Amino acid sequence: MGAACVAGVGMIPFGKHVERTLVDMGSVAAYLALEDAGIGPGRVGLGVFASAAAPRLLGEMTSGQNVFWEVGIHRIPILNVENACTSGSTAFVLACNAIAAGQVDVALVVGAEKLCVPGVGLLNSGETELDTRLGMVTPAGFAMRAARYIHNYGASAAQLASVAVKNRGHAVLNPYAHFRKAVTLEEVLSSPVVADPLTRMQCCPMSDGAAAVVLCSREEARRMRRAVCVKAAILCTGSYENPADLDRWETDYRGCAQGYEAAGIGPEDLDVVECHDAFTIAEILHYEALGLCGPGEGANLAVRGETRLGGRIPVNVSGGLIGRGHPPGATGLAQVHEIVTQLRGEAGGRQVRNAKAGLAHCMGGDKDGDTKSFTMIVMAR
Amino acid sequence: MTREKERENAGAGTLPIVMPGILDIPADGGQPSLLGGVCPSCGVRYFPRPSRCRGCLGPVEESPVGAKGVVYSFTVIRIRAPLGLPEPYAIGYVDLEESALRVFCLLDPQAVEMFRIGIPVRLAVGALGRDARGAPCLRPYFTPSVPGPRGAA
Repeated sequence: MGAACVAGVGMIPFGKHVERTLVDMGSVAAYLALEDAGIGPGRVGLGVFASAAAPRLLGEMTSGQNVFWEVGIHRIPILNVENACTSGSTAFVLACNAIAAGQVDVALVVGAEKLCVPGVGLLNSGETELDTRLGMVTPAGFAMRAARYIHNYGASAAQLASVAVKNRGHAVLNPYAHFRKAVTLEEVLSSPVVADPLTRMQCCPMSDGAAAVVLCSREEARRMRRAVCVKAAILCTGSYENPADLDRWETDYRGCAQGYEAAGIGPEDLDVVECHDAFTIAEILHYEALGLCGPGEGANLAVRGETRLGGRIPVNVSGGLIGRGHPPGATGLAQVHEIVTQLRGEAGGRQVRNAKAGLAHCMGGDKDGDTKSFTMIVMAR
Repeated sequence: MTREKERENAGAGTLPIVMPGILDIPADGGQPSLLGGVCPSCGVRYFPRPSRCRGCLGPVEESPVGAKGVVYSFTVIRIRAPLGLPEPYAIGYVDLEESALRVFCLLDPQAVEMFRIGIPVRLAVGALGRDARGAPCLRPYFTPSVPGPRGAA
């Protein structure tokens, strides 16, 4: 790996954008990324568009072609990608692979989502799946992980909630974040229960938004002062073994190991991490899979401030899914946007001092007690 | 709804099961089981039964995978319920005694506050929620094997 570099990033603030269309949001992010890279549409050789829910919620298919044409990109190969919460990061992996294979020199990856539509309900893993028919909804899958984790390790509700306090605090510093107001531990714990033991403020919001990334070959990047090197871009899938433990995803550990190996670095080399904190418990489990601490130690990390801005290893300085918001098609690319901004030293009030290496970690979908999709993108200055 | 009423519903067989082929309900009103599959060459057991074994891609034979187990984890969902399920409703993963499979299932909506990790449970079947077409249907759920104080529910 290491053949691709990020030449430019762009995104629009996440939130409820009732009046905006998917194509509008996506094309603005695309324009901002091209502008940031200083690259015109004629140089782009591949376009990859990600949205998790557009076909189902909006009845729109092949939205990517519409988005790319808004920024003057046509004729080239364009792909439309759906991979649940990893839709955006999966699109990124595909573009990296095309560059590594020498198929193109420049690729534009755009992720957009419009979730705030009437009657959207809760997202699930498919109406025909038995789990869905027996009442499985996404927060409940994570709540059962939390219950088992608490049972195994004696973690407390306050320890879980401290992740939300941290990420909402970070989001105050991020102009792109859905939520710009800090919350207290008491507020998080006393918000309505969604699924025991998770309260509403421990769940990411459903957001609208878009993010985009211009990728280029290392050769192209030589002419660019602000390019950031992609050390590894990993995509893998669940093992679906039975019985599956809920206090750790085997796929998470396997994917992280694969990502570190491909990047040639370990957790001790990281300065900043974005991970898939769809729910507070998820961030705690990802600390452990990423090797930021040992099994059962994750619940203490946020409490002790180790993963806060200014701590030992800041996690989700952007606010994460809980604070920045979660438009699934855009999330993986917003994570890349944050790491690139940090590595360039352009993150303003939320800048991690002297950040040289970072990673974006994402997971998507649920099947048989496992995740369906895992991505890890390691970047370095 | 009383337990007797549920059993009546289950026995009557007038309502469709939420998904065909997942339940073994004895005609005499005996203990129902989850119906899964076993691969005759690999010996791997499945719930629900896939059309082919994931290991050898051979056919999978229908086989009961269990009626009793212990709760591995659970949650009570306290937001608006999908599929016409009761509010609140409980779901969990159960480690089945018979097959050692860990299965996802609904938990008894009349006992939502009684569930704990590690408690023994047995399968029941009753009219619970609606199917994809919006019609009432039967769903399996696990209920505590040892009845607790009813006042807790």
